[in-house]
Amino acid sequence: MPPTENRPRAKPHLPLFILPFCLAGCSGSQSALSPAGEEASSIYLLLIVTTCGAAVIWCLVTALLVYAGRSRRHVYSAGAGQKLILWGGAILPTSILCLLLGYALWLMPATRPWLTNNETSGFRIEATGEQYWWRFAYRDAENGISFDTANELRLPVGERIRFALRASDVIHSFWIPSLGGKMDMIPGRTNFFSLEATRPGIYRAPCAEFCGTSHALMAFTVVVMEKEPFREWMERQTNLLRPRETEGARLFARHGCAACHTIRGTQARGRIGPDLTDIGARQTIAAGTLANTAENIARFIRAPHAVKPGVKMPAFPMIPQAELTALAAYLKGLQ
Amino acid sequence: MSIFPREIESLWTLFTAPVVWAFHFLACYVGMALYCARRPAGLDHDMLRLGLGAVTAIALAAIVVSAWLAWRQWGFGTDDPPHDDATRKDRRLFQGFATLLLSGLSFIAVIFTALPLLFIEGCFP
Amino acid sequence: MTDRDRHDRTDENRREEEAQLRRVWSNPPGLGYWTSVNNTQIGLWYGSAAFAFMLFAGVLALLVRVQLAVPDNDFLSADLFNQAFTLHGTVMMFLFAVPIFEAVAVFLLPPMLGARELPFPRLSAFGFWSFLLGGIFVCGSIFFNAAPNGGWFMYPPLSTDPDYSGIGADIWLLGLSFIEVASIAAAVELIVGIMKCRAPGMRINMMPLFAWYLLIVAGMILFAFPPLIAGDILFEMQRMFDWPFFDVTRGGDPLLWQHLFWIFGHPEVYIIFLPAIALMAMIVPTFAQRPIVGYSWIVLAAVGTGFLSFGLWVHHMFTTGLPQISLAFFSAASEAVAIPTGVQIFVFIATMLAGRVIFSVPMLFGTGGLAIFIIGGLTGVMVALVPIDWQAHDTYFIVAHLHYVLIGGMLFPIIAGVYYYYPLIGSRKLSDRFGKIAFWLMFAGFNLAFFPMHITGLRGMPRRVFTYPEGIGWDWLNLLSTVGAFVFAAGVAVVVIDVVRPKHRQSKGEQNPWRAGTLEWISEPEENWGVRSIPIIDSRYPLWDQPGLVDDIRSGRFYLPHAREGRRETLVTSVLDAKPIQCLRVGGTSRLTIVSALSLGGVFVALTFHWWITGVLFGAVTLAAILAWLWTGTNDIPEKPEKDVGLGLTLPLYISGPQSVGWWGMFITMVGDGTAFGSLVFGYFFYWTIHEDFTAGISGPGVAWPMASLAMFVAGWLTMLLARWVNEKDWTVGTRALLIAASVLTAGGGIAAFAGPWSFAMDPQAHVYPAIVWVLVLWLMAHAAVGLIMLFYCLARSLAGRLSAAYDMDLRNVVLYWHFLTVTAVTTLCVIGLFPLAR
Repeated sequence: MPPTENRPRAKPHLPLFILPFCLAGCSGSQSALSPAGEEASSIYLLLIVTTCGAAVIWCLVTALLVYAGRSRRHVYSAGAGQKLILWGGAILPTSILCLLLGYALWLMPATRPWLTNNETSGFRIEATGEQYWWRFAYRDAENGISFDTANELRLPVGERIRFALRASDVIHSFWIPSLGGKMDMIPGRTNFFSLEATRPGIYRAPCAEFCGTSHALMAFTVVVMEKEPFREWMERQTNLLRPRETEGARLFARHGCAACHTIRGTQARGRIGPDLTDIGARQTIAAGTLANTAENIARFIRAPHAVKPGVKMPAFPMIPQAELTALAAYLKGLQ
Repeated sequence: MSIFPREIESLWTLFTAPVVWAFHFLACYVGMALYCARRPAGLDHDMLRLGLGAVTAIALAAIVVSAWLAWRQWGFGTDDPPHDDATRKDRRLFQGFATLLLSGLSFIAVIFTALPLLFIEGCFP
Repeated sequence: MTDRDRHDRTDENRREEEAQLRRVWSNPPGLGYWTSVNNTQIGLWYGSAAFAFMLFAGVLALLVRVQLAVPDNDFLSADLFNQAFTLHGTVMMFLFAVPIFEAVAVFLLPPMLGARELPFPRLSAFGFWSFLLGGIFVCGSIFFNAAPNGGWFMYPPLSTDPDYSGIGADIWLLGLSFIEVASIAAAVELIVGIMKCRAPGMRINMMPLFAWYLLIVAGMILFAFPPLIAGDILFEMQRMFDWPFFDVTRGGDPLLWQHLFWIFGHPEVYIIFLPAIALMAMIVPTFAQRPIVGYSWIVLAAVGTGFLSFGLWVHHMFTTGLPQISLAFFSAASEAVAIPTGVQIFVFIATMLAGRVIFSVPMLFGTGGLAIFIIGGLTGVMVALVPIDWQAHDTYFIVAHLHYVLIGGMLFPIIAGVYYYYPLIGSRKLSDRFGKIAFWLMFAGFNLAFFPMHITGLRGMPRRVFTYPEGIGWDWLNLLSTVGAFVFAAGVAVVVIDVVRPKHRQSKGEQNPWRAGTLEWISEPEENWGVRSIPIIDSRYPLWDQPGLVDDIRSGRFYLPHAREGRRETLVTSVLDAKPIQCLRVGGTSRLTIVSALSLGGVFVALTFHWWITGVLFGAVTLAAILAWLWTGTNDIPEKPEKDVGLGLTLPLYISGPQSVGWWGMFITMVGDGTAFGSLVFGYFFYWTIHEDFTAGISGPGVAWPMASLAMFVAGWLTMLLARWVNEKDWTVGTRALLIAASVLTAGGGIAAFAGPWSFAMDPQAHVYPAIVWVLVLWLMAHAAVGLIMLFYCLARSLAGRLSAAYDMDLRNVVLYWHFLTVTAVTTLCVIGLFPLAR
């Protein structure tokens, strides 16, 4: 168990004048200001402390600046000025910065503790950034867990989950603002880090490194669940069976979708595009771009570039409307 | 301290202390980065931390020497700034005072740079 | 001043001198005007061009803001948006922020230092034309939908992907490399000018603070820009020839670019910020009506910032997964750099407290800018703490932070400087009323635009998104930002109107309308000669403390009041105490500077489009132009050894070696060159650290050839030392023979260096190891080739009778080059030849 496990959760008492900041943070599901994770909470506290300090310092210095700039009867001596520079400009900032630096340095390993055996064993999620979507692989060799999904991450509450982050094409950055800070996904490297969610809910996570034309349209959903439902969900994913010979499945195969996409439990085993096994159950489609409706699925298949410029998926203008509707309905039905 | 001649006529002395900081910074960063990337056998993290601690002590000592020389050049503080007379003496006093201030800043910066060695143990990301 | 001198200064005498000076320093008429090389002139062009680029980039920013005003907007296409923000950042940084300080510096420094001219006016002209051409090239690309679109930081592998970025990335790389050349040219000019061309008596404790800052900044350029040039070389080699420096499948690594880019990129922020603060250091004392309090503290701050700014670059890489301990070192240095910055602010406050402040428009912009900048500084302290950066990195919080720093710390002081120094251009002030309106529009608009971004960022809005969905909590914040951006732009427009509106009906004001104390206010806007005569200075604020100074200067009662030989002349003084040591003749009007800059630009443009033959032709023209420039414009052998410069002082007209400006120019250039080389060597070892076996089993260049090459380079160096010694003995034949021997050795060394990787058939496209070896070898060979050209040049000078024991500047500068070449050769050959054995 990581050393942070027993640390009390940060529950900052907020001074009144930073209330606007708090209000600002209370609306979004994608906000560093409404933390729902260990890391996000401790960073939030640091943020509050430094913001308050900065506000006080700014007010003092600006007041001094205004006072110095106004016409005054009293003119200070150069010696007094030298003292002001020494104390106000050098010694005071040095002491404050030293304390602050100590706080932050102490916080670093406490926030992102090192978990041993990262690569080899235990439960972990391997996330890979692709232009412009997310590949997630749940792995646990000991317990026989191994399944892939895409663009929606499910996490248990109150458990530190390890991530192995990679990129297949260009640099992306993995960031769930409500749970913690970001970590880049860099081709050729694997970055390890971990997150612990403290509050169940649905959060949004954008790609945080500019990755090409549709960088803005690359996000994923994080569903933080209680431990038991999460365990059940994992079990369902591991032992998934799907009827093979439905109309939708045939269309999926006939139009070549299976060349790129996987639907577990069927013949579709393409690895180029996102896994669509439970696409019907996801909050959004096209990596956080559209609401998950059958119409939107059809629209995306017809002309993905119109929704998401620069996307690798080809357009399918040739599919007859009726078949497209059936295909979309099939996909929406994959729960 | 007769090994340091009293009459050093150069602009470069001004930069002594920051250069010491730069070397100390490089030693810490490069040392740790190399260690973490290559994990050489026979060198563990604590040994490296101790070594860099020693480097820090040497750097601080060098800056103190530089500060002392600057203090001397500044006439041990017998004259107050601004040192703006058109004389060689004031020019030297100015150099001494500025060097002394820079030594102070470099001293603090070296301590700042060494702080991570106290707080962070290991190479983890 | 002797009685005889006083007696001589009859009116007629004075008029004659002025006519001489005017003739010598005049700009050519008609189109020839553009061949001027006078620094004051260049400064104006430079500044105007930089401002024009700023307005262009500002318009791009407005387009970006319109697109982001409402969610799911389709005002700009995704690709055009990406081009717009990339170009906005690039242009603001490379075509406005850095050049504007070079402009202000070459415009102000000659009169401020009491010099008639800086030592290398033609180099400034060359730099300006390079900058203008490169700038137009880069900016113009967006009208052809071919602008770079990978962000101003150009991270590979996105930007190395030809399918994604098309030709835009090449335009960025080559256009900006060209501009980096201009910056390094400016750094050479500024360092040598400030160290060697101050008025007699202006000891270093008397230097105007502006000069102190600029000296430090120019030094920083020497160490900050070359790593980017090295990075550009690697990047362009990958794009043009598929050498896999950043391709992970062949051993490359995208992080190397990030290191090289930010080793440049962070000092760059201070390279931008310090000169703007330098303007404040000139403005505040004038309006506080007293000398600055804490002159030494400013020097501390400038030097301290200059150094510490090189220990910050990884704070742009806090989320790349480097070990936390590495991040922590950079976090610590990033906190430490706040200390000198705080000192500067308190120096201004202390000066204002100790004086009686007149609150004019420049002060309004200055203090308003400080108030904004302090917020940027404080958020900077926040994001320098690693955990906060993990959240804030690459969000709008950073956008807010960097604009608070750059607009508060750079743009506002620059505008303050425009209002303050405008009378130096046309003897007329800008309007106070316009100034106040502009300030309040800019101040309010700026805060309205950028303050909400702190919150948008923390609410999770990443940078560089062309659109966003509604309902995440960014909608009204973004709308506010857009409204604020337009208010801010209106303020900028008021400034522009104030500057360009016709002022001929306004009467000309006094020469020194703000009653400033520093020397730049002796400059006469109608005259081109910098200062009428070069004064003796004995105060930091000579116009306050030296009564009658202006009159004495204007009446030509000091040094060099005439130009009897019809040459442009200025004084060279010693570094610490500014004792006169030489009367320097500087280059005059010439077409060669334009021709060499334009043809060099042609080389870069041709490379962008892969027109190889055109590129080679332009390269030949560039070389010819530069050689002609050197031949006619440098190492000028005077008609007499000494000259009476006035006030009974006689100075030599010719000096070589470390006392001379030419030697310093070479030294400084080579320091920059050495830094670029060092960055390439860093690349070599970077690949070694990230791979278990960085050679990937590919055989290296062996030991024999590199060592043979090494021996020849060292022998060549010894031969050069001998040649210098023989030349001192004035044995012409011996010198020529040794020069020939050295060229044979150098050519041999270059060929042997090439033979190493060649004979082992190292294929640079196969893996990064052969590629980095080849880059080092090519770098060395290119330097050897330049050395050969220098040797032939010396030989030609000798044959033309222009190289002798007395006039040996060419040879001494070439020997200086040889020291650096030898270090390059020894390092390269040991690294590629011996290191693979030792590891």
